[in-house]
Amino acid sequence: MTNVIQVAILGLLLGGVYALMAAGLTLAFGVMRIVNLAHAAFIIASAYISFFAFDKLGIDPLLSVVFVMPIMFFFGIAVYQALFRRIEGSAKFGEMTVLLTFGIAIMVEGLLGFVFTGIYRKAQPGYANESFIVDGLFLPEGDILFIPKGQFFASLLSIVLLVGLWAFLRYSQTGYAIRATTQNRAAAEIVGVNVRRVSAISFGLSTALAGASGALMSYLFPFFPFRHWQWVAVLLALVVLGGMGSMKGAVIGALVLGVASSFVVDQIGPTWGPMTFYLALFLILLIRPQGLFGKEVPV
Amino acid sequence: MIEDRAAMGPEDSAPEPTPEEVQRPPGPARYRWYVLAAVVVALLALPLFRPMISSYNYVLTLGALILMWVAMSSSWNILGGYAGYISLGHSVFMGVGGYVAGVLLYYHGISPFLTALLGGLAAVALGFLAGFITLRTRGPAFIISTIALLFMFLLMTDNFEYLGGAAGLPLPPLEVPQEWLRVPFYYAMLFIAFGAVWTSYRVAHSKFGMGLRAISEDETKAEVAGVPTRLYKISAFAMSAFWVGVAGGIYGYSIAFIRPTVFFTIAISAQMVLMAIIGGKGTVAGPVLGAVLIYAINEFSLVVFGATEFNIVIQGTILVAVLLFFPLGVVGTLRKMNRLPAFLNWD
Repeated sequence: MTNVIQVAILGLLLGGVYALMAAGLTLAFGVMRIVNLAHAAFIIASAYISFFAFDKLGIDPLLSVVFVMPIMFFFGIAVYQALFRRIEGSAKFGEMTVLLTFGIAIMVEGLLGFVFTGIYRKAQPGYANESFIVDGLFLPEGDILFIPKGQFFASLLSIVLLVGLWAFLRYSQTGYAIRATTQNRAAAEIVGVNVRRVSAISFGLSTALAGASGALMSYLFPFFPFRHWQWVAVLLALVVLGGMGSMKGAVIGALVLGVASSFVVDQIGPTWGPMTFYLALFLILLIRPQGLFGKEVPV
Repeated sequence: MIEDRAAMGPEDSAPEPTPEEVQRPPGPARYRWYVLAAVVVALLALPLFRPMISSYNYVLTLGALILMWVAMSSSWNILGGYAGYISLGHSVFMGVGGYVAGVLLYYHGISPFLTALLGGLAAVALGFLAGFITLRTRGPAFIISTIALLFMFLLMTDNFEYLGGAAGLPLPPLEVPQEWLRVPFYYAMLFIAFGAVWTSYRVAHSKFGMGLRAISEDETKAEVAGVPTRLYKISAFAMSAFWVGVAGGIYGYSIAFIRPTVFFTIAISAQMVLMAIIGGKGTVAGPVLGAVLIYAINEFSLVVFGATEFNIVIQGTILVAVLLFFPLGVVGTLRKMNRLPAFLNWD
């Protein structure tokens, strides 16, 4: 019993981080119909910033969010203005974005490999290898639960950011415009929303979320440039599963599958963890092609 | 494109007319058949010029690889170009072919020259199965599920002992004198490339191909017009898997081992996509031209920059630039400008 709770806790903590990563992806898709295959490459790039900030300057990876997010925000806006603006009117916009971001991902991967080489990196702040220990409470006598500090702080930060994002989308003027654009781009434009500005800001927000995820990744998961493909496969599976463009779907999907994969790892073996996501993706495509919370999206 | 085809009339249901009848190339355009014949003869004869080629094995290896890429990007084009369903996981079929042929050789000693076709059929079977599930979605969700398919197979081959796990299986080399070792592989790849391009050509000039193009233009309208879209899409997926699987079987034998990271990597899919797009997706000649171009660029940058990550940057940059500035690719752009030489016009 204790083991089950332990595995579930680890899964939830993992899911919290996955949710943050997937939130950025789903935001870009929801607002602009951009399927960003480079999202994980951006995450890895940000992880390098955080890693070196820690390694060279001793800045805590969790704190590095303060500057990684703005850097990635403006980077995202620049990418949007330089590349996506050009294909705005193209007939097969959805496909174009996939291919374009595929190219960007390859470029980022190559550049990172060129500059930082392909070796594994992982920041090692003090708390990365420590755990909170819980005993007593409702647990059977003598049993204890471990809550890894690194994962715990990461999930906490991720929750803070997701709540912040939710509040921003819910209550700010810009957030209102973003939601309007998500619902109906043409109608939003008619009622006076500056759709281009909204799109640029949303893409910036999406990459800023990638930046925050990268800061977390820098000490949670070992990374190297080529790794981003594995990540993007998992994140995209999550996003399709939750329903493309649905923020709620992405978060719930991430939590559920975080727990599920954690049990798979516990029962079958660590290498099979990612399989949970792929299998879940194919299952959901069989049963409900539009995803858990998705509407039929015109593509 | 659709309109042109429709204007050509009822030949689609009739027994397949010869290409000349379909195209009726005006006088000068007939020379494309001579160009084709010359290329074919040159490719067939290349291995005979052993004394005149200084690094014989290198040239044949290079030739075999280019032919393999021609086959793979042409096959990808059936689904990605004609039907407009981009697959970023097509290397999964190469891997399936490679593993079927490789395992049969390793455990039962049957030559991949015989079993590669079996590998192709296995790839077709997987294509049907995967298509049945993934083609329930359109656009981005489909693309994503092809990536997931690829990673599933990477994970599985990585972890099955029978298949050699992450280290893969070593394959016994072909028992042929060293100086002739590359010849069988070269001819095998030549055969595969012919097969793939011929398949692509026949699809382009069939009712089936027309249906695929209709799907690519507007799937809903195609459906309303009576195209059995689901059947066509799944068939296209399966068909585009065949030659990729066969090529995988031969390729594994030619490098004498099979290993997950050799086949099940997104980089190989990326190459197919890049080649088809730069050449002109949805055209017959485009992927062929693109394969030669990209391969040449790769070799060139390897020589100039060495084996660094810089190659990857160049590929990504090319893909982005082509998409932004001439998304129709070389063949498509030339056609739009009315400058397409007849020997590249096979649509």
